[in-house]
Amino acid sequence: MNVIETKNLTKSYAGFTAVSGINLHIPKGSVYGFLGPNGAGKSTTMKMFLGLSKPTDGSFTVDGKMYPENRVQILKEIGSFIEAPAFYGNLSGEENLEIIRRILGLPKSSVAEALEIVGLTQFKKRLAKKYSLGMKQRLGLAGALIGKPPILILDEPTNGLDPVGIHEIRTLIRSLPEKFNCTVLVSSHLLSEIELMADIIGILNHGHLLFEGTPGQLKFAAASKGCPTDNLEDIFLALIDADNRQRGTV
Amino acid sequence: MSVSLEWKKVKRTGFLPAFFGGGTLAAIVPIINMAVRPERYLNQQGSPVQILLDANWQMMAMLNVLLIVAGTCLLYHTEYADNAMQKLKSLPVRESSVFLGKAVLTILMSFFVLVIEAVAVAFCTFHWFGIEKGFFSELCRCFGYSLLLMLPCVILSLLISEACKNMWVSLGIGVVCVFTATMLPTTNFVLSLFPFAMPFQVFAGADVAKSMHYIYGAIAELAVCSLAQLLFVKVRRGFE
Repeated sequence: MNVIETKNLTKSYAGFTAVSGINLHIPKGSVYGFLGPNGAGKSTTMKMFLGLSKPTDGSFTVDGKMYPENRVQILKEIGSFIEAPAFYGNLSGEENLEIIRRILGLPKSSVAEALEIVGLTQFKKRLAKKYSLGMKQRLGLAGALIGKPPILILDEPTNGLDPVGIHEIRTLIRSLPEKFNCTVLVSSHLLSEIELMADIIGILNHGHLLFEGTPGQLKFAAASKGCPTDNLEDIFLALIDADNRQRGTV
Repeated sequence: MSVSLEWKKVKRTGFLPAFFGGGTLAAIVPIINMAVRPERYLNQQGSPVQILLDANWQMMAMLNVLLIVAGTCLLYHTEYADNAMQKLKSLPVRESSVFLGKAVLTILMSFFVLVIEAVAVAFCTFHWFGIEKGFFSELCRCFGYSLLLMLPCVILSLLISEACKNMWVSLGIGVVCVFTATMLPTTNFVLSLFPFAMPFQVFAGADVAKSMHYIYGAIAELAVCSLAQLLFVKVRRGFE
């Protein structure tokens, strides 16, 4: 069963199409890795799922609910982290999560749990504006994880983290479907990261979905096109390069 | 819940001290005026409230409106400064209910400011004129009227702050509106319906029918500004 499904989802701005008729299928309980170079349309797609951006054409369903008719119901099921950490700089980490907790109507203990998961417990009283970039990133993740939502949308969640932090967050994301029975859509341009985390991979370039399937299927598809299959990075680069040549953008 | 959430969000922003300080500053105006030149007012005809407000309300109202502009800018600045607005939009909460929460909070703070000013007027009356029967009911009517005429200004100012992500732009627009309002003659009914000019009206000593027209005007402006907010949210979503 697919938790998120899109049908010819398109987003155009004046004279430029950011997402062009993509059909995504994100199965329940999986970690879906959304890969693509900068400007491929990953963030725009994720923003559409959250109602932050209105689709120009096409449609999508989240857990069987249609957008925009069930916007609020959809948002109740999604924990998200988009682009950069978003927070109230004048409030402490704990107070920031308290705001989200009250909006979501969660029990008080959920704030401490979220802080514990991302390793911010000892800094919970510090003002968010005084956090380092990595701590702000963790706070953003805590805001997405609070209440253990059934669907998580994470846009480049390891940006700004040190190698230890990247490893921790990667391990955390990998464990989420099993621990909390949730589905994760995670985007990154770090191929190694996606390779280690994702069950299903979607590759986006210039707003077009080039591939969707398991890492095994990706290797098979690459081999059939005569592309190198040694590692995901080579496959990804070969696919992007071939697509760029086809579109005449190289 | 929305108002208490908004109250939590303004922690450490200087919102409460700004309203307390601004209200105190406006309240000092009639006290200083009476302390410096009591002879000018003590021989005038009319009730003490009418005399005090006629003499000081223009300055007090200007401070009140400036305070509303600064307060509303601050409220939305906390949302935009560190991108908290984006997180808020991805949560199951309607932007209009956030707006409503901020509006109620600003109205409560404006009420608090008017209470400080009413206490100052009561003090001046007690000290220089003497409190007579019916004084407190007249005082409540005057300041209740002022609060009502402030509401369109609160809503419009919040709408401007919501529309401009850069606080300096909304603050600039607000200040321009305040100074435009000070240049409009308060005796011209149509011109003084400008939301930023309405709070300059005084109830004490004014014609009841004219005051009622202002009340109807304020209610109509409230309805228009509220509809404009709903429309704005829909239109902006379409462009994002």
